[in-house]
Amino acid sequence: MNGLESEGLTRRNFLKIGGAGIAGLTGVAGLHRISAGEAAAAPPHQEHQQEHDEHAQMTVGQVDHQRNGFHPLDLLYDFDYGTVTEENGRTVREWNIVAVDQEVEIAPGVYFPAWVYGSPTSAASRKQGRVVGQVPGPTLRCVEGELLRIHFANASLHPHTLHFHGIHSARMDGAPGIGRGMIGPGESFTYEFDAEPFGLHLYHCHVFPLARHIAKGLYGTFIVDPQGGWPPVDHEYVMVMNGIDVDFDDENDFYAVNTIPFHYQLHPIPIKVGETVRIFLVNLLEFDPINSFHLHANFFHYYPTGTSLEPSEYTDTIMQAQAQRGILEFAYKYPGLFMFHAHKTEFAELGWTGNFEVTVAEGAGDGDAE
Amino acid sequence: MATQSEPKPGVRMTEGGRSFSLATAVLLILPLVLLGGVIALFLTTGGGLQLASPVPVEALTVERTVMAPGTIEIAVRNGGPEPLTIAQVIINDAVWPMDVVPRRTIPRLGRATVRLDYEWVEGEAYAIRLLTGNAIAFDVEIPVAFTTPTPTGRTFLSFTLIGLYVGVIPIYLGILWFPALRALERRWMVFLLALTVGLLLFLGVDTVVEALEQAASVPAPFQAIGLVAIGATATFVLLMAITRRQQAIGRDEADRRLALAYMIAAGIGLHNLGEGLAIGAAYNLGEIALGAFLVVGFIIQNITEGLGIIAPVLRDRPSLRNLALMGLIGGVPAVVGAWIGGFAPSATLSVLFFGIGTGAIFEVAYEIAGMLRKDMAKESMPLVIFAGVFAGMVLLWVTGMLIK
Repeated sequence: MNGLESEGLTRRNFLKIGGAGIAGLTGVAGLHRISAGEAAAAPPHQEHQQEHDEHAQMTVGQVDHQRNGFHPLDLLYDFDYGTVTEENGRTVREWNIVAVDQEVEIAPGVYFPAWVYGSPTSAASRKQGRVVGQVPGPTLRCVEGELLRIHFANASLHPHTLHFHGIHSARMDGAPGIGRGMIGPGESFTYEFDAEPFGLHLYHCHVFPLARHIAKGLYGTFIVDPQGGWPPVDHEYVMVMNGIDVDFDDENDFYAVNTIPFHYQLHPIPIKVGETVRIFLVNLLEFDPINSFHLHANFFHYYPTGTSLEPSEYTDTIMQAQAQRGILEFAYKYPGLFMFHAHKTEFAELGWTGNFEVTVAEGAGDGDAE
Repeated sequence: MATQSEPKPGVRMTEGGRSFSLATAVLLILPLVLLGGVIALFLTTGGGLQLASPVPVEALTVERTVMAPGTIEIAVRNGGPEPLTIAQVIINDAVWPMDVVPRRTIPRLGRATVRLDYEWVEGEAYAIRLLTGNAIAFDVEIPVAFTTPTPTGRTFLSFTLIGLYVGVIPIYLGILWFPALRALERRWMVFLLALTVGLLLFLGVDTVVEALEQAASVPAPFQAIGLVAIGATATFVLLMAITRRQQAIGRDEADRRLALAYMIAAGIGLHNLGEGLAIGAAYNLGEIALGAFLVVGFIIQNITEGLGIIAPVLRDRPSLRNLALMGLIGGVPAVVGAWIGGFAPSATLSVLFFGIGTGAIFEVAYEIAGMLRKDMAKESMPLVIFAGVFAGMVLLWVTGMLIK
């Protein structure tokens, strides 16, 4: 008799209840019954070794990366070193960054009016032969101690800034009302500061409302290599954990690394058994307080913020609050398909899931990992 | 042509008709031709107006959700001004593969079915979000998941039984009062007629409320309120015309009273059709709870409908066949409604039926009022009529308490 006490029942509600009463009274309750067999439904879950068949839990269709102008594969590998010159015996590294309004196919068939950063020296722009905006923005990579000049031009219809995480003067901080402050539409400004400290950092627009300016896509990775560099590895990947709020209700509808949900699930990242992998992992998720990264069937060394050459932890799961970042290093011992995803499973099922496809290196035996 | 018939006014009429077929015809068509030109102008140039909407305007109405083991099907209709594309589906915070039949882009007013292969669990709740290409979200709530009944012999029988209990049986129970009520004196017969007016007014208002409530789930271009107005007005005027025609043909008073009883039966039948639709649809939505007490209350309330049907013919001798037929007309639509509501529910159709029911009920109340006025001409008893109408409305209000 649940529903009887419900407030505000109308005659039609009553009819619904009454109708059921009749069903019970006349002994035809069977029409309401579902057999135990039908009800024994397993919870939806993902097979770790699933093939990419249509039963995989993911989006339907394919994103047109050509139309977007950037490809998730490039976002993974592409380091934008800008242009390097020498001034008074000192290395000067310069980038030209532009902010534009650009529609991005954020998931197959779902178009999002994004605000994006682009750079002529990014892989996407070089491939397209024009400056292309991308989400996340170009991964700017330099070496500790260099003098950096970032020429920022705002081609968007809204004011924006470039706010770098690092050590610099207040007027180079890219915050509204400080120094040059907001860079209006059509305006430009050059940010200049030294590359310090070494580590894994980020940059983003700092114009208010801040959550909206970041959630629309104005952020990117900023890597300062230590003098002499990090120890060599076989692969370096950039993964920016982000989310997209397509309907502007201040809740993310899709989650991903590097914007496109499930991309690396559909297109696993190929590595070989024993190859060393370094992931620059940055959390730029808006609206949700924390994000996480979990690697399947493996453990990794974790270097928070990348500011130390000694790892702080050996684990298979880490969490990051917004703008937290860290470097992960690992190698796979066994071949196969291995997932990596947010261990906040809601995020995982809304797109933040990928796979490593680990194969045996030619001439190498099984299980020769570090 | 104007020379032929100047002198005679009678011919002038004909002449007017003749010029209608030529010059007037051109004048009649001219605005239509110009209209075509204006439309063409707007379609090609926009007529100087900025017609492109800065934001996508999309409307998607969920018409039906069908759940079978391992699958969920959502029938949707595009009620927006432009075609829309269903790009992705998220169920309980998980992006899920789906299929849209016939295709993912739905034309204006077009229908499509979104199909998910999803191992849902009986009794659990699901929130489904349909995302269009313009990133507009439409939410579908499944408060309690269970297998949607399919038209098997067994469910068919069940809906039939529900309809019988809701409509047919209470009405026949009411009609069974006929022999006893015949023995009443005239004053009490007038009271019963007034009571019927009260019952009908109450039912009529109730039906309007149902119609307006359902209207919320009808796609905007189908203009649910307009459908209610058309259904109600057309039915009212049509029934009035039929009644006047019968009077013009000159049937005797008893025949007219019998015809009125049939009309009451038909009006109540339309009301019960609406009730049946609601029951069937509620069954599909899983909003059904069990309660013998409620069924008893239901029978008590609807028994008054049978009383209303026989009230006009108490002073006559209608044949058993007539009484049986009137009971069927009043009650069987509940069965039909349950079938339709259960197997092919449509909010738009429901609203139209509710509109028709409203018109029929109010027209019948109007006819009975006319009958009472005639009675009053012979012997004025205003308090009896007041008491009757009042009692009729209060009767439904009080019995309504049993079941709400």
